[in-house]
Formats: sequence, structure tokens, C-alpha cells
Amino acid sequence: MREGRFNRRKFLAGALGASATLAVGTQAAPAVKKGTSLRLWILKTYVEPTNKAIEASAARWAQKHAATVSVEYFTFEDMQTKYVAAIENKNTPDVGQLETGAPARFAGMGQLLDLSGFARQIEGQVGKPPANVAPVTVIGGKTYAIPWYIMAAFWYAWRDEFEKKKVKLPGTFEEAKKAAHALNRPSENFYGMGQSWNRTSDGYGVMQSLMYSHGAGWTTKEGKYRSIKSPAMQAAMKWATDIYKEGIQPADTLSWTGSQNNENFIARKIAQTSNGPSITFALENALAKATDAKERKTREEALANHLALPHPGGPDGRRMWAIAMSFGIFKSTKDPEAAMSLVAHMLSPEETVAVMKDSYGQFAPVLDKARSASKDYFNKNENYRTFGRAAEWFTATGWPGPVTAAAAEVQASNVLTDTPAKVIIDKWSVDQAVEWGDKKIKEIYDTLRA
Amino acid sequence: MAFLFLLPLLVLVVALIAYPIYRAVSLSFTDKLVGYPERFVGLKNYIYLLHDDTFHGVVRNSAVFTVGSVSLKVLTGLGMALVLNGVWRWRNFFRGLLLLPWITSTVIIALTWRWMFDSFPGRGFFNSVLIDLGVMSRPIAFMATPEGAMLAVIIANWWRGFPFFGVCYLAGMQSVPLELYDAASVDGAGPWHRFWHVTLPGLKHIIIVTILLSFIWTINDFNIVYVMTRGGPGTATQVFATYSYEVAFNQLRWGRGVTVSIFLVPLLIVGIALVSRYLLRDKD
Repeated sequence: MREGRFNRRKFLAGALGASATLAVGTQAAPAVKKGTSLRLWILKTYVEPTNKAIEASAARWAQKHAATVSVEYFTFEDMQTKYVAAIENKNTPDVGQLETGAPARFAGMGQLLDLSGFARQIEGQVGKPPANVAPVTVIGGKTYAIPWYIMAAFWYAWRDEFEKKKVKLPGTFEEAKKAAHALNRPSENFYGMGQSWNRTSDGYGVMQSLMYSHGAGWTTKEGKYRSIKSPAMQAAMKWATDIYKEGIQPADTLSWTGSQNNENFIARKIAQTSNGPSITFALENALAKATDAKERKTREEALANHLALPHPGGPDGRRMWAIAMSFGIFKSTKDPEAAMSLVAHMLSPEETVAVMKDSYGQFAPVLDKARSASKDYFNKNENYRTFGRAAEWFTATGWPGPVTAAAAEVQASNVLTDTPAKVIIDKWSVDQAVEWGDKKIKEIYDTLRA
Repeated sequence: MAFLFLLPLLVLVVALIAYPIYRAVSLSFTDKLVGYPERFVGLKNYIYLLHDDTFHGVVRNSAVFTVGSVSLKVLTGLGMALVLNGVWRWRNFFRGLLLLPWITSTVIIALTWRWMFDSFPGRGFFNSVLIDLGVMSRPIAFMATPEGAMLAVIIANWWRGFPFFGVCYLAGMQSVPLELYDAASVDGAGPWHRFWHVTLPGLKHIIIVTILLSFIWTINDFNIVYVMTRGGPGTATQVFATYSYEVAFNQLRWGRGVTVSIFLVPLLIVGIALVSRYLLRDKD
């Protein structure tokens, strides 16, 4: 206990020192001792150049301060496992990239430094996040992380398929379904849509966009449990299950576990799917690797022909669930000042834009200075203009309430996608499935410690 | 003095077996959440799981997966051993070849089988063969139905595990005295009777031990199911290991996640005790 008090005091003194240093001027970075060594955990995505660009940004900070940054990767697959192991073994990194639910979960565990003062102090240098993104990192009125970028899913469609059949590009889920019927050619092994309710963000992410756009959520505005047994949820479930009943998707859609929707779309086996800009990356990358003129022409056509539309809306508006990546500093850090300095460096508009330029649209900055600095980049073409608006439509897990540990657990338990799966696979009625899902969600809220 | 010699082993047993088991059992009586201190909740996790319909599905799936895989492994293992026992030319080559699945990485095996069952044009082996042969015009989505997905994970697990059975049974067959076969032949026993009355009784103990070992390995299998289906579609292939992982690492409920695994322990202890008793009785 005594040791705990001593550490807290020591830490508070350090944080105070860092804050004082920052307060000297908005452009000033926290002092960094020579030879400082930090561990930085970042998300490794399919877009390899982004990973390298983040590493390069960290290396620039290290070089400037004669420090060392050891970059360690986690993927969407092992993100939870790595953080869980690190927390339980008291081996957390100094700085970690956190996905949408992580600030609420980790702050509740007492793992993250309170960055409220730091966030205010670097605001002049990096700007503010938009009002719909900021709550992801603010828990109980304190800022525990600072948002960096949004990784969103868009509605991919093949332009020529729509033009050939004179079908309107979809703006809502209902229009997407109607279009799927019009474009469906099962005899040619070509389907109108490909949307899996699986255990990845391609499943639970889209399910949330669908629910929120229909006005169905499982929380109140305060973040307390609210029943999903509502007409709005019934409507969302109807869409989610009808697309399976009506034969407008490949028969194996429900078994897709992550990359299969990309593959099916790129192979032109489906006309529409929800996915991140990794599809655009794959098409641009394929074009860059074309070996002859004929191949180049085909790939150019595919690139020009693929559309990344804003994610469909519903009767209650367009609410696009997305991943908001932020930086948090773990309390275990021996050098909070250096950690803050590294975060301030990476969040700066120059560094953010440098990383973004290697992201193929996957990385949509959220802090307003970086957003202003990225306008030209996102003006490249129609698709990129859509990517650039990710923050505008962003809706976090647990809408309409704030992101809480309980909301994050609802997503992690896969109950949101298991609910339509109960109808599709087990042939339950929609009512039965919603009742089941509601019971599971309530149980999470009833039993999770505050 | 004797105790001193035993001490290293005792330390190892306590550190590597007794303590982890004690820790797991004690965690199952807590509401331990990742990052929070554990609180004693008695049998609450067990009672929750007994009433959890997802867990009921997990028990059913695990039973089908394990019994299906182990049965296939016993049958094909016996077949493999019988064939190899009679092969003299290139014997070592064939033995080595059939051991390949056993030494291949489980993740590679799972990915390979996933691709073989895939219905993506040009990649799924079974679909491509059936379409090329003109048997059908459109691919079958094996992995999209609960039955198909379960069959796929059973086959992948079987393929990975049957060489172990084959090698064990082959070793057992080679230790059966040839005089017994000669005597049976003299008495007029044909190949089937020789197998039934000489080979099988000779392999009895090995069969029991391999079934027990494989049962433990299979019911605890994580990689094949996770890589191939992630427990899906829906929860159709969710088994003890994948559900325990999902609860402990995604939902961060360690106490409950550990309880999912601990549920198996009494079953395995009873199985091990019965087999040990049977083997020792036979020995006596």
C-alpha cells in the first residue's frame, strides 16, 4: 500500500512536470531525456505501407530526441489477446494504439493515464476531434486517450453493373437490397450482395450500422441498458435476415471470416459489399504491379469502375459504425513525459498527413488540424472524397450512449451477429431471436462491474 | 535422502501441474475480469453456464466434434496399421509419408482444409472437382451450414490425428506373437477371424489409451475450429476451447472463461481413472 502511494505521488509529480512543460507553449513538446526508451504498440493492417509509415514516424521522433522507440504490432485478430496478456502480466507498453472500446475498458481497469491536461495543452498544436468522435476517449469526464484516425467501412459497388441495369446507386439499406435483386444473376454465379454476420468487424460493425441507422440501440443516452425489443430492431433484423432468405447472396456468405467479401468483390462475384478501403488498396496495388499493357488496362478499368459509397443509411439517418483509433499512455510507463512527447509528435498534422498519404484512404484523420491538412489528399477522386468524410458519419459502439466497457463487451460477445444467425441458421422467428439477444445484452449490463 | 532425490520432480509437478490446476479452479469461483481484482462468487459461474443456452450448444458441439473425430481416427488408424503391417517393400517410406499430417503445423492444416471446402471459384478443391466433372454447375457452400461446417472441422481434425493412431496400432500389431496367427490359421480362422480374435485383443490396451489421449486432445482443440470457422456459422461449431477463449479474451471475463474449461475436468478425471483402473486390473 505504501509503495502504491509512493508510486502514485511519483507519477503525479511526473505528469505535473510534463503538463508544466507543455504549458510553456502550445508548440513545445514535453521534455525528453536523452537515451529514453519507449515501447509503442500499433495496429498492423492489411495496408502494409501504412504500417511502415507509422514506424517511420516513430523513428523520426526517436532520432530527434536521441531516444529509442521499439514498435510492436498487434492485429485485429490478436489485439485483445495481446492487451489482456500485457495487462495481467503488468507488461503494458508505454504508448498503445487503442480501438474504439479500449479507452473505456482500460480506463475502467485503471490502466491508462489521465490525459485531460495534456489533451488541452496540445489542442493548439493538433486541434480537436469532432463532437461525435471525442466521447470515445472521454470517460467519466476525463480524457484517457486522444483520437488519431477513423478506419471506416464503405459500401463498395461495381459502377458498370449498376449502369448496365440502370439501377440507382444505393443510399439506404433498403435501396441496397432492391439493387441486389436487380443485379442478381445466380446462374452466372454473380450475386447482388455479400454481407456476412460473422465474428469480425465486417459482421458486427455492419450490424451496428444497420441497427443505429434504424434507430435501434441497446443503451440510453446515458449509456444504461435499454431493451432492443422495439419496432426499429425488428426492421433492422428483417433486413439482416431477408438478404439471406431472398437468394441475393452467395450461398457461403455466412461462413466468410474476414477477407472473403474482399475476394468475392474483387473477383466480381458480388455487386456490393461493406468493407474498409483495403479493397481500393488491393486494386491500386494490383495496378502498380501490372506487367504488360493489357493487364494494366484491365486493372485501370477495375480501379475506375469500383465505387466506395457512403455506408447506407436507414429510416433514422446514416450512422456508420467505424473503428476510432486513438493513442493512450499506460500508467506503467516509466517516462510519461517522453510518452506524451511521442504522442504529440505522432498526432501533429505533419506526421498524421505523412502516415495518411501511405494509407490508400484507410486512415481518415479526426483531429481538425490534420483534417484540414488532408483535404487535398482526399480530393483525389470520388472514392477518396467519401473516405475523407468518415469522421462525419462515425457512430461509436453503444449508440446513442457513450462507449462503455459494457457496450464494448456486447460487441465482443458477438451477440449482435448471433441474433440474426439464430434466424438464418436455427430458423428461429425474429421475435425469438430478438428476445434472446436482449436477454444476453441485459445480462452483460447486469453483471459487469462498474 | 530419498526425499532429496524426489525433490526436483516434486517441484516440477507442483509448479507445472498442481499450481496451474489450483489457480484455474480457484479462478472459476471468482468473477475475475481482466484488469480487476478477483472476487469470490462461489458457484455462480457454474450456475450461469448450466443455464446458458450457448454453453449447452458448446457441450453438444464438443461432443459431436470429439466423438466424430476420434471414431474416424480409430477406424482409419486401424486400417493404416493393417496395410502398413503387410507392406514390406518401401515400408519405411510409406510410414514416413503417412506421418506427414501429424508433423504438419495445425494452422496450415486448418487453412488447407478451409480452402478445400471453400466455394470460392477455382479455389475450393471439392467444388472445383465436382464442377469440372460435370456433377454440378454451381458450388456447394459446405461451410455455410451447421452440418457442413461441423463435418469440415471433424475431417480436418481426423486428418491431422489419424497417423498417431496408425503408428501406435502398427507398433501394437508387431508385438502380437506370430505363433498366435499360425495357431488360429491351423484352427481354420480366416483373415477376418484372425483380425477379430487375435489382432484386436492384442491391441486392446493400445486402443483404449489412444482413444483416451485423443479424446483429451480433441475436446481441447482450439486451432482447427478457430482457423476454419471461428465457431461459426453462428455458434454451430463453437466448442469448449473457442468459447472459453471468446469469453476470457474478448469479453474479458476470465473467471467465467476458465469455468468453461473447468467443466471438462471432472469428465476427463473420471475417464482417466476408469481407464487406469481397467489397465491395472488387466495387468494384475
